Amino acid sequence: MNFTFRLMLRDIRSGDLLTLLFALIISVSTVTSIGLFIDRLQLSFEQESANLLAADRLVRSDDTIAKDWEDKASELTLKTAQRTSFTTMLFAGDSLQLSQISAVTNSYPLKGTFLVDDELFGVGRKSTSSPEKGNIWVSSRLASLLNIQLGDKVEVGDATLTVSKYLVRDPGSSSSAFAISPRAVMSMDDLESTHVIIPGSRVRYSLLLAGDKDALQAYQNWLEPQLNEGQRWQTPTQRGERIGDTIGRAESFLLLAGTLAVVMSGVAMALASARFVKRHLMQVAILKTLGATPPLLRRIFFQQLFALFVVGAGLGLAIGWGLQEVIASLLSGLMSTALPEPSFARLWLGAATGLISMLVFCLPLMSHLIKISPLSVLQPNAKVELNSLFIYLVGFVGMYALMCVYTKGFLLPSIMTAAIAGIALLVAAIGWLAFKLGRSLTSGATSGWQIGLAALYRRLIPNLFQLLVFTLIIMLGLILIGIKSSLISDWQQQLPEDAPNHYLFNVQADQVDAINDQTAQLGVKRSDWYPMVRGRVTAVNDESVQFLYPEERGEPELYERELNLTWSDNLGKGNELVEGDFSAEGLSVEQKAAKEANLSIGDELTINIGGNIVTLPITSIRTVDWGSMQPNFYLILPKSALENYPANFVSSLFIGGDDAQPFYKAMSSFPTVSILNVGDVLKQIQTIIGQLSQAIQLVLLCILSAGALVLLASVRSTLEERLEEGALLRVLGARSALVRQALLVEFGALGIFSGLIAAIGAESCLYGLQVFVFNAQASFHPLLWLIGPVIGVFVISTIGVFASRTVLKVPPMHLLRDL
Amino acid sequence: MTRSTAIKVSNLTHTVTSNTGDLTILKGINMEIKESESVAIVGASGSGKSTLLGLLAGLDVNTSGDIFLYDQAFSSQTEEQRALARGQYVGFVFQSFHLLPSLQAIENVMLPAELKGDKSARQKAELLLDKVGLSHRLTHYPNQLSGGEQQRVAIARAFASNPKILFADEPTGNLDEENGQLIIKLLFELNQSEGTTLVMVTHDNELAKMCDRQLVMSAGQLTERTL
Repeated sequence: MNFTFRLMLRDIRSGDLLTLLFALIISVSTVTSIGLFIDRLQLSFEQESANLLAADRLVRSDDTIAKDWEDKASELTLKTAQRTSFTTMLFAGDSLQLSQISAVTNSYPLKGTFLVDDELFGVGRKSTSSPEKGNIWVSSRLASLLNIQLGDKVEVGDATLTVSKYLVRDPGSSSSAFAISPRAVMSMDDLESTHVIIPGSRVRYSLLLAGDKDALQAYQNWLEPQLNEGQRWQTPTQRGERIGDTIGRAESFLLLAGTLAVVMSGVAMALASARFVKRHLMQVAILKTLGATPPLLRRIFFQQLFALFVVGAGLGLAIGWGLQEVIASLLSGLMSTALPEPSFARLWLGAATGLISMLVFCLPLMSHLIKISPLSVLQPNAKVELNSLFIYLVGFVGMYALMCVYTKGFLLPSIMTAAIAGIALLVAAIGWLAFKLGRSLTSGATSGWQIGLAALYRRLIPNLFQLLVFTLIIMLGLILIGIKSSLISDWQQQLPEDAPNHYLFNVQADQVDAINDQTAQLGVKRSDWYPMVRGRVTAVNDESVQFLYPEERGEPELYERELNLTWSDNLGKGNELVEGDFSAEGLSVEQKAAKEANLSIGDELTINIGGNIVTLPITSIRTVDWGSMQPNFYLILPKSALENYPANFVSSLFIGGDDAQPFYKAMSSFPTVSILNVGDVLKQIQTIIGQLSQAIQLVLLCILSAGALVLLASVRSTLEERLEEGALLRVLGARSALVRQALLVEFGALGIFSGLIAAIGAESCLYGLQVFVFNAQASFHPLLWLIGPVIGVFVISTIGVFASRTVLKVPPMHLLRDL
Repeated sequence: MTRSTAIKVSNLTHTVTSNTGDLTILKGINMEIKESESVAIVGASGSGKSTLLGLLAGLDVNTSGDIFLYDQAFSSQTEEQRALARGQYVGFVFQSFHLLPSLQAIENVMLPAELKGDKSARQKAELLLDKVGLSHRLTHYPNQLSGGEQQRVAIARAFASNPKILFADEPTGNLDEENGQLIIKLLFELNQSEGTTLVMVTHDNELAKMCDRQLVMSAGQLTERTL
């Protein structure tokens, strides 16, 4: 075997090289796993957006598609298909489930394919044809919710259809990868017989087009001038821009966590390299006296670093690949679509991270190592001149570059660098004060407490550094715990016990009394009925919304879509008047919507209601408690403006566990009424958050490993000093129990401080998230203040005492001889 | 029989820069050491003995004057050339042993031969450790050996490269008398059997007397002590 590698294997036995190797493996595997997983999410999204339209172009409308639109398309030799999507209850025996249903024509899809299967939760095979008349394809989730299988009958409104396939993917499905409502596809030929679509129903009609570019352009030129407010011309990229918020947030969190892991492993590598260099200074000097030339030493260290990179990056990539499979399988239950396989080409990110880490954290230190004078063997004081500023600068630039490569941008790395700097200052201030206090409260060395607390101040810099690293990790963990358990349960806690958990939609005026009778018989508590008329805001102070917001993006929510309008004589539950007079003959606008659209009292809105135009001034602005589970509205109009339009009604009710079956049974006599079980939706959101946080916890585990490595590396860098002290204490008669106690006190105190500072940081971050991101009421999280220090003490003491175990184990004589 | 010159020094001066200004440690030293001679350099602490040894072995570069090792001018060579010359001609024994702590005794002794790419490094090392009486300690690490044993490993390592010149810096300085005697015996035996030139820095007058010549270092100047 080559001399270089023999020397390397011998070094591995001493442990210094292993720390470096572990740091590299953790860094590469974390970056690889997170990178690959995010890539799979993005690939899935790209694929979906290509197939999302199921066509080259699509016209979306709130009304039925006009006949002449289809005729014009045929004239231009464009292929067409139609899809009508709506949400309704699906019944199977005693079971019922709110479902997202698409009725499609035979030619659907024009682009992409369905994925269907005969097995429940199968991976699916491609199918370019759509369901035949009399058949329905249901997603596996819907089938299991309804407890049905292939061949069973389901009812959609008045029609009875046979389940003929399990739907794995609908090419035109409009939601993101995380779908809440289970979906089904049926034939357009059956739509009429369902009688589900009635005036006022929320239905989306789509005309799909495919053909050559010029024909599509000609069609667009012909059609666009005719489109009204409720109609949109869509291209695949426009649809692609709508990333699900959940994925977006999970991605950001994963990215943030991954970046922190990169930083941690970088620091661990830098520390491990520094210790490696320190321990090898004399070795290099001796090798030089034995005749090793600088080029030979350079070759030896370069080959060693290269071998380390190959082994570390190889293992890291393999572990990273395995980890992302675990993350993906944890989340597989949530995906409405199968995640595409990750691309091997993306592995470069992990490999590049490894390479950059080696180049910036190891190479500068190693090149200094080679410069040591052989004279050091005779004059131990002849030290190598370390150009620290240069090394720190290279390290910092390298770290920043790594973060930029990793996040593919400058913003997050800059914010993170600033945030870490801020937390570092806080940690330094608190730590310095606390350690100094600890030192002044204790003098002498008669107990482990005194020795341990004194050591905190004596090794101030390494200890402050360890404090910072663990504060950051624990803080991230606490924020995760806070988001997961607190933000969701906070929302639920703020709801009264009997808050409504079901909504009734699409109720016709003549059904209201009958439903009132049924709920009264069952003793179900119900909110008031609100009439609902659909309308769209078309102009503000006589200026067209289309003119004000020519681009589709950036439009305030108030103008973006058709709104549910209502009238009411009094402010409903959960509404509070902020400005103006609610009883005045004008519009009442929800405060946040008004702010977003920059509206104030006196502004005039023009609203298109079923083709008729109404213009009204804003006379009041009110806040709405969206969490109250009452029917809530952005716009409330005067009764006079709406009473002549056909309205359907909405109400919310609370249905306890025992009332559910009789209530659903009673409601089955109103098949056209949609029931939305918000309780189920809440549970589903919790499941999604739960499973996402499992994935994030896995990443957190990677960061914790990186952090543990930092602690290990940093304790090792003070090991000689600790060994010397430990040996001296024991030579002077201290029992090893005293030395152990001192170590426990030192690391335990570090743990408590890390946990407490992390709790301060996490609580502040959660406050910001609650107030500014989730729009919820701020709440205090006492649990975090307990978990933080407990985890801190446990983890840091364990790792710290483990890393310095030689201080306790080896007889003092050996230690003295070794020094 | 005339012996060839192993080391020749002419007008050697060495100045170091410290924060109190320049300090001339060696002042115009001239000397010659013949092949297989044993020479002791004695003198008070801080007189410049170790500095001279370091310069003779090419571990540092002198300020002015010339040092020749087997007619090769050390002073004008690059660090790389000096390292090669060290590998070719020179062996070292240090006061604090300087064994590599991560290597076993045998691996420490193998190092010089391995650096030269010698395939029989292990056999040679086993033989040498046997010669210094440590054949039962081959796989021990330095911290598992006593001081005397460590110095014996260091001597074995010094002879592993078949050096023509052996430099020893206070070889018994860290040892008790018994171990010191053992090491001295070993050094001189090997010196004679291998025909090596021995240059030794020592405080120990008894040890110095065992050498063929004694050079006294005083105030940066070297004088021969007549026996």
